[in-house]
Amino acid sequence: MTFASRALTALLFAASISTATAQPAVKPAAPAVPETQQPPLSSAAERVYEFSKPRILQVRTLLQAAGRQSSLGSGFVVTADGLAITNYHVVSQYALDPKTYRLEYLAPDGTKGILELLAIDVAHDLAVVKVDHPDLPFFQFDPRALSGTLPKGERIYAMGNPLDLGFTIIEGTYNGLVDKSYDEHIHFSGAINPGMSGGPVAGNDFRIVGVNVAKRLDGEQVGFLVPARFAAELIERARKGPALSVDKAREEVGRQLDSWQAAFYETLKGQGFRSGSFGPYRGLESSAPWVTCWGATNADQIPKPRTAINTTRCSSATGIFVSDKILTGRVDLSYSYYKAIDLNAFQFAKELSQRTWNWEGSAAKRLTEQECRDDFVMAGTGSRPALRATWCMRAYREFEGLYNVTLLALTQDRSREALLAQLSMQGVSYANAVALGRRFLEAIEWAQ
Amino acid sequence: MGAVMWIEVMSRHGDAVSRQRIEAEEATIGRAFDNDVVVDDPHVAPHHLRISRGEDGELVAEDLGTLNGLYREQGRDRTQRLPLAGEPGIRIGRTILRVHDARHPVAGERLMTPPVAHARWAAGLGVVLLAVLVALEWLSVTAEPTANLLLLPLLGFITVLAVWTSFWAMLSRIFFGQARFALQLRIAVTACIALLAWEQAAESLSFSFAWRDMAEYAGLGAWAVLAAACWAHLHAIGPRHMRAAMGLVAALLIAGAALQYLGKSESRRLFGQRATLGDLRPPAFRLVPLASADDFFQKTASAKKQVDLARTREPAGGGILSDMDLSD
Repeated sequence: MTFASRALTALLFAASISTATAQPAVKPAAPAVPETQQPPLSSAAERVYEFSKPRILQVRTLLQAAGRQSSLGSGFVVTADGLAITNYHVVSQYALDPKTYRLEYLAPDGTKGILELLAIDVAHDLAVVKVDHPDLPFFQFDPRALSGTLPKGERIYAMGNPLDLGFTIIEGTYNGLVDKSYDEHIHFSGAINPGMSGGPVAGNDFRIVGVNVAKRLDGEQVGFLVPARFAAELIERARKGPALSVDKAREEVGRQLDSWQAAFYETLKGQGFRSGSFGPYRGLESSAPWVTCWGATNADQIPKPRTAINTTRCSSATGIFVSDKILTGRVDLSYSYYKAIDLNAFQFAKELSQRTWNWEGSAAKRLTEQECRDDFVMAGTGSRPALRATWCMRAYREFEGLYNVTLLALTQDRSREALLAQLSMQGVSYANAVALGRRFLEAIEWAQ
Repeated sequence: MGAVMWIEVMSRHGDAVSRQRIEAEEATIGRAFDNDVVVDDPHVAPHHLRISRGEDGELVAEDLGTLNGLYREQGRDRTQRLPLAGEPGIRIGRTILRVHDARHPVAGERLMTPPVAHARWAAGLGVVLLAVLVALEWLSVTAEPTANLLLLPLLGFITVLAVWTSFWAMLSRIFFGQARFALQLRIAVTACIALLAWEQAAESLSFSFAWRDMAEYAGLGAWAVLAAACWAHLHAIGPRHMRAAMGLVAALLIAGAALQYLGKSESRRLFGQRATLGDLRPPAFRLVPLASADDFFQKTASAKKQVDLARTREPAGGGILSDMDLSD
């Protein structure tokens, strides 16, 4: 496997429906000017890098046996006793498979050493590692970042080792928290590249604002940072709580995923649901501001379609990196209203059969094979359309009690028009999946 | 007394090559030209065999002192004397002979179906088959239906049917002497209609009962239809060697069905089931009552049980796709 494909920057929001979701990366017309006499910008970056140089690290995951690097990221020291912050996804191979991998750091001055994994926070993609080198200088957290009072437009500097090209400093702007997002992420207008994951982002005063974590593939200079607050909290936890035993890291990941999904589905429920209208049918939609929906139609298709299809896709756009093969924690809801234009009932049924293809299901290292159950269902009481429903699920091999679930429902009340509804949930407990699944089925009704 | 016997020299395929009427009480068989029946077989003695009548008047074959001896047609034991009543076949050297007494009974007359009747049936069923095919094709067209789209698959189908029928006609020509193309075509067309009916029934019932496995394993039923078709083809060729041929066909078909079953269950183990609604039919095809949400989620609990069990097993290895995870 080549280095380039393994160097890590989580690409969390990789494929969204439309590029229009990208918020324009607006740079302030004038650079942020603090009150004191301000040196030219380039020299500010110079000073920040000079300060940061002994405090930043390259975090390397090596194959235990061959000693070759398997993936690379960055990190930075935040305490006198050598505790450093990086991303969970930088150390995930080691955390999930400590027998195969080991962790090492490389400092800008060329020193190398072993890293010890002390704590992980899968939900915020953070990890605390300990450098086997006493008396290292360290960073401090920016209190304004911790309290969330940093002004939009402030010039901040992202550091790390992109693509193993050498330690680098990148100027960018702080653009506040990302709108419409369940996970708290700072929107950083600057280039973040694979290999910089876990690296620090500091202001002019050398204090930590956030941690490099991801970028948008469909935008330019749209980067994301984990707010410093979560890093500070994790450091506290690593200091006070029981030390993480590496052999139990996998169980810890499972526990964190489970509590993440419990909180997520609770919040989703708390945000409330509403009934969306799709042709003559209604279906469940979330009122949460971070569930965004996009519509699509085939009306302008050439040659003229024989079935009119209007689709609405909604997604929580959440994503938790667990391993390079598992990105979880996402909920998608989609509704397609089909109306035959000149197809008969059989042809229309065929059209619907062709539209429900889905390749997912193969057994993999981290997920079991898929099991499905079908039935004709009348969910709920009152006068409502009958449904043809299919429930498919896969279990996470390493994380007991977590599943990927797909629920399909097709209305069966008319032969030449139908609503095809699909709910998919990743990394969900069975109880939460059934609860949302039931709500989803019961919400499919006739519009008055 | 005027008793008559017939001595037939058989071909390897079981047809009589020559048939000689003997009006004497005795006959000799061998390579020499002073015999009543002359056989061109280097493994036959110049005077190999004498056929005479025993005390009860039945025919008896007798070895005249030869190197290679005298056997029943299918037997393995060399004998000196063979009574031929009821069992007319004997083997000397590599030659098979049959000796019949004129009093031997023969099978009754079989009613003949004239080839033209088979041809008419074949044509009639063929038209039905093509009409059904076009209709099915038309019912599953979701794009703009064009003549090409509807008729092109027919061409392929007709070609396969023609090759299949010709194969059996050729076998029939070799073993039965007549191709009987019309009869073989009639059988092939009937089998096709049965296959189509089976496939449609399996898919429709799979929808009607919301029973996924039915469509998944419908292929096994198709093998049974194929077996029946092969049996009918062989039967038309003739009853000789029927058991051996049928055994061979059955073995092949069972092997095919078993392989298909194994492939299916293997891919089920490797790839699991697909998140699809399956092959849908119009809502009126539903034959089961509507389940309540409670019933449905009771069913999904069994899926949970199954994937929980799968968690404890080693991941299935092998296969190109097994290493890929398409979950995102």
